[in-house]
Amino acid sequence: MRTHHRVGSIFWLVIGIYVGISAYRLGIGVFSQPGPGFIFFLMALLLIILSAIDLGITFIGKSKVGKEKTDEPLWLGVRWYKVLIVLVGISIYNYAFNFLGFLLSTFLLMIFLFKAVEPTKWWVSVFASVITILLSFGIFKLWLKVPFPTGILGF
Amino acid sequence: MDVFQNLISGFSLILQPDNLFFCFIGVFIGTLIGVLPGIGPVGAMSLLLPATYKVSPLASVIMLAGIYYGAQYGGSTTSILVNIPGESSTVVTCLDGYQMARQGRAGPALGIAAFGSFIAGTLALIGLMLVAPPLASIALRFGPPEYFSLMCLGLTILIYLASGSIIRAISMAAFGVMIGCIGQDPETGSSRFVFGIPDLLDGIGLAPFVMGLFGISEVFINIEQSLKGSKILETKIKGLLPNWQDWKDSIKPILRGSVLGFFLGILPGGGAVISSFASYAIEKKASKHPEKFGKGAIEGVAGPEAANNAASEGAFVPLLTLGIPPNVVMALLLGALMIHGVTPGPLLIPKHPEIFWGVIASMYLGNIMLLVLNLPLIGIWVQVLKVPYKVLFPLILLFCLIGAYSINNSTFDVAIMMVFGVVGYLIRKYKYEGAPMVLAFVLGPMLENSLRQSLLLSDGSFLIFFTRPISAGGMIVTFLMLISCIIPAFRKKREEIPMEETT
Repeated sequence: MRTHHRVGSIFWLVIGIYVGISAYRLGIGVFSQPGPGFIFFLMALLLIILSAIDLGITFIGKSKVGKEKTDEPLWLGVRWYKVLIVLVGISIYNYAFNFLGFLLSTFLLMIFLFKAVEPTKWWVSVFASVITILLSFGIFKLWLKVPFPTGILGF
Repeated sequence: MDVFQNLISGFSLILQPDNLFFCFIGVFIGTLIGVLPGIGPVGAMSLLLPATYKVSPLASVIMLAGIYYGAQYGGSTTSILVNIPGESSTVVTCLDGYQMARQGRAGPALGIAAFGSFIAGTLALIGLMLVAPPLASIALRFGPPEYFSLMCLGLTILIYLASGSIIRAISMAAFGVMIGCIGQDPETGSSRFVFGIPDLLDGIGLAPFVMGLFGISEVFINIEQSLKGSKILETKIKGLLPNWQDWKDSIKPILRGSVLGFFLGILPGGGAVISSFASYAIEKKASKHPEKFGKGAIEGVAGPEAANNAASEGAFVPLLTLGIPPNVVMALLLGALMIHGVTPGPLLIPKHPEIFWGVIASMYLGNIMLLVLNLPLIGIWVQVLKVPYKVLFPLILLFCLIGAYSINNSTFDVAIMMVFGVVGYLIRKYKYEGAPMVLAFVLGPMLENSLRQSLLLSDGSFLIFFTRPISAGGMIVTFLMLISCIIPAFRKKREEIPMEETT
């Protein structure tokens, strides 16, 4: 767990340094006339100090942070790859949304979501997808007048 | 007398078919997501935030508020029947509620939870009605330094009450302020951290940000586990009306829980969670038979259920009078109002009385609707519990995707939502807190403005925050709270406080 703790602290330290430098370039101004980068600089400074302390804690003696177990695995025994699969599916959906149109792209996405994470029977997947799309089309397109793209199908 | 006239005008507004409809939708969805363990009020509210853009400000707040207090009602159902709290504020209900269900008294447990919530909700509303207007008139005298210190105090209390490391909670708040301030500088007009993307000039939208951080990340956390359903206690639910003895045992816990919940709800942080635990502890201490607690004591259900409902309504006080949200849910309501050009704060009641009194009236009506929804329809909610998550999560994802798209009819917002979905997933995995980030995100632009204005007023002197009494008070409490986290005795006490889980 301590390794994960360190990874987290280093990540926020890097973010803090990056924002701090960028804020300085934006212009932090003076106290009587704060510039556009002032608040970012203050927050970056806070983030740098805190993540440095957090990182330091991992090197000092026994880990006291949050009473974490030292051997608690973060990625073992969980299906993180399912998250990745869903993420890829949604990214493709978002990319193809305007081209394929709402109805076709959403139907394909729903089938994908029903089948990719847990095995679901085909008829359940198709039935649930159709019902969901009709419902969301009714709420968002017909009631709330959201202009969905029609795509290659033309409707 | 004014109070009653205003309340009557509030009722005339809420009784309009549109508002009535949105009130019903709000409490219905609130109960639904309260029942479903996979999604909480913050996730559901962020999911429906885009839908509120198309309706009036009053209707949007009525609906979102309904989701919030409706979830407190619904959460108790899963606690009692499945021993899985639908909401973190109903965790304590599991202790005696589930035991009552095992003893064949699920009906009275559900009944007293609903009646207790109704009584507490109504009492808290009277408190809100009486406390808010005078507090708002005092707040009219506040300037930028007072607002800055009160916002710092609000953030600090939320950070103090966040679970886990305080260092990480403050880090998340700092990051939240940064994200909230992305876009054009309000004073100079220069673009900040937009990376040449025109869509970012107006800043990152609240809805995609929160939907990603809570809605999407919640789905990710759930799907990485094996999606097996919960085992529902197979018991026939009969006799929902508590008997005379049940009422006798419960009425004092309900009244105590209502008062406690209301005042704890006003404080920033996890009011509903803390108040439910505090109420349980008080009832156990006050009881002549403390040994019955944990074995099916009805007082252990009545008190905490009343407290969490009263707290959820007490939380409206700082939002509607000071414009400072005390928790993430109120931050979402603040965002929803601001999207409609309504700024909550001391001027809300004089400038938009219809919103304040309309919301109050909607809560009265919403509480009655919830009673009707929760008691006779309990069988339906039990069936809802049986919906497998593998069927539920694609629906949640789809509503998030369409919701994000519908804000600006742009796939860019969907991408932003997904980015924060991943951020939310990772910060949960690495044990960081999302709640301080969201509150800081909402407060960020206001915090920046009040800080810059204060420094302009004082010609660059930070002493301005300590020379004005209210501001000085806020800053001193803020510093004391932060310092107390370093002192071992206080740190231990902090770790013992039940923490809010904002999903």
